[in-house]
Amino acid sequence: MDAPLLAIENLRTYFYSRARRAFIRSVDGVSLHVAPGETLGIVGESGSGKSVTALSAAGLVSAAPGVIGGRIELRSRQARRNLLDGLERYVRVKERDGRITAVEKDDRGWRRRAETLMEGVRGKEIAMIFQNPRSALNPYSTIGAQLVETIRLHTSVKGEGEARERAIHWLERVRIDSPRLRFDNFPFGMSGGMCQRAMIAMALSAEPSLLIADEPTTGLDATIQSRIVDLLAQLKIETGITTLLISHDISVIQRLADRIAVMYGGTVVETGRAAEVLAPQAQVRHPYTAALLASVPTPETIRRKSYLQAIEGEVLDTIELPRGCRFYGRCNRVTEAIRENCAGLEPPLGEVAPGHKVRCWLYPASGKA
Amino acid sequence: MSRTILDVTDLRKDYSQRRGLISMLAGRQRVIPAVDGVSFYLRENETVGLVGESGCGKTTIGRTVLRLTDPSSGRIVFDGRDITRLSRAELRPLRREMQMIFQDLDAGLNPKMRVHAILREALTVYERPSDAEIARRIRELLEQVNLKGSKLANFPSQLSGGEKRRVGIARVLAVRPRLIVADEPTSALDVSIQAQVVNLLRDLQKHLGLTYLFISHDLPVVELVSQKVAVMYLGRIVEMGLAESIAHQPLHPYTRILWSSLADKRSTEVNLYARSGATAARGTWGVFDFEQPVSGCRFAPRCPLYQDKGRPAVCTDPASEPPLRDVGKGHVVACHFA
Repeated sequence: MDAPLLAIENLRTYFYSRARRAFIRSVDGVSLHVAPGETLGIVGESGSGKSVTALSAAGLVSAAPGVIGGRIELRSRQARRNLLDGLERYVRVKERDGRITAVEKDDRGWRRRAETLMEGVRGKEIAMIFQNPRSALNPYSTIGAQLVETIRLHTSVKGEGEARERAIHWLERVRIDSPRLRFDNFPFGMSGGMCQRAMIAMALSAEPSLLIADEPTTGLDATIQSRIVDLLAQLKIETGITTLLISHDISVIQRLADRIAVMYGGTVVETGRAAEVLAPQAQVRHPYTAALLASVPTPETIRRKSYLQAIEGEVLDTIELPRGCRFYGRCNRVTEAIRENCAGLEPPLGEVAPGHKVRCWLYPASGKA
Repeated sequence: MSRTILDVTDLRKDYSQRRGLISMLAGRQRVIPAVDGVSFYLRENETVGLVGESGCGKTTIGRTVLRLTDPSSGRIVFDGRDITRLSRAELRPLRREMQMIFQDLDAGLNPKMRVHAILREALTVYERPSDAEIARRIRELLEQVNLKGSKLANFPSQLSGGEKRRVGIARVLAVRPRLIVADEPTSALDVSIQAQVVNLLRDLQKHLGLTYLFISHDLPVVELVSQKVAVMYLGRIVEMGLAESIAHQPLHPYTRILWSSLADKRSTEVNLYARSGATAARGTWGVFDFEQPVSGCRFAPRCPLYQDKGRPAVCTDPASEPPLRDVGKGHVVACHFA
């Protein structure tokens, strides 16, 4: 296997909830890697930490205390560095009984150091597209002007005219109709799907090594969604760009991702090749992944008009962590043989087959980790 | 066969767009027909799904049939009674029989009231039950929506999305409605919670004999819960029929696109149609535009069939917007070529 382009190790990002007067472990020890040219899909419910993982990787977490520690190793042609290098010394975390009691963070020192590390990386090496394209675009500037700015800032193309031609080329590549006319459009004159295309053009025009797509189809209409997914699939073939794709929509992940990571309660509970993890006949599967797949209507449930397999209970809030498995309270596959483990000890992310890891006591291989 | 509880005929709702002062003085008001001649009916204890893209008028229909918004023209008959022009006072006793579940989880939940007070208020709107009766009814409601009693003391802000939805449903059930318009009841919820709510709504229907107008853009869910499905495009129903025929033997090209877009997203291969069609249909995939007057079939500008057939004149003939034709088994479709 190629050396990963992005390797995240033991990433922890916490927030403070003033309403609850407690720390939320939004991302709590996440390790992921993305090989060059690969699309890694992160799937999970809201609050699972998938978006925060991506934002942390792009250095875009602004709420306090934010990123606490871990490694985010970027190995592209232009930049090779740990984006969290030497930042630990600015943070101290106090913890008691699975509850964070205090986080001391020298925000200024951290920020200064982090910005140095991010220089030439954010926007250039790591580009992002977001859920709401309209709010990510500058409403006071035309699509064309925004593209030209990105191109002149991040690529070797510096001349105005040349940048303009390049911008039009990118609008064409994202299948925007009459790109020369659209060039002078403001975001408000464009539909949501069109704005998302423009957003994708802008992200790719910087010629980044890594594209982070955070819920790129959410909030768009069904027919438009499938067009955007089509576009991303085509661009993946054409540009071979390495992508970190975040979505709660399993069908989007299924379509675009080579490998997937399922997140729950701030941790990765299963990861592996998408075809393997999502295969309908898969034997080994984290109970949460299985439940997620079963909670959307399939042709079979529709035909029989049967009930959906709901996951009982609520999504875990990661303030007070259970001692055992984070999914224990909602899990329907706990057996007497493993109950003690499930309730008392967090299972490790163990390899059950080459490249396929599951965080569950059901699978013996989990033992060796 | 059960009886018809809601019968809607040629319903129209125009919104006038406010423009600048000068055009206002000049009397140039732009009228947007959000709902443009829609007819359908609901039988008791049945679910009709209403699908379509955002802006097609789904929610406006939901609001108008409950008279939360006044229709511009048309006729709404609820349980044998024409309610189209009833006054507010006349409507009041009927309100308890027809309720709405709003897309917004917080709609209807006063942030300054505890869950207990919210439910109590709902129970006492139309009746004056004794305290003991209220307590009994609240227990019953909690059981019906599967909510823990401990949540009664909470404020809405202390509830999770799924719990808010349950309280919202309990509040609606408190007045014992017969017809519920459910406007995107699951779209604001997480996947695992969506399934809980869908199951709950179906259970309630079974036990309480409710009738649902189920508005959603989630096609698999609509197909699962509905007996009949109506597909809307630009303020009109373009196809309506049994849920399984709409999903599996759709006749209108728009319905086909809707359902195939779902399959496309699931397929693991790059869609060939999208690649070749990218040029043919390019630009036509934007959201439809009420401001652009269409002549003839309103779907023609986006229609692949129209392109394939070599742009037949009948599709854009101003005199012939395709009417809903009956093709048997209660299946109707508005397309010249279906």
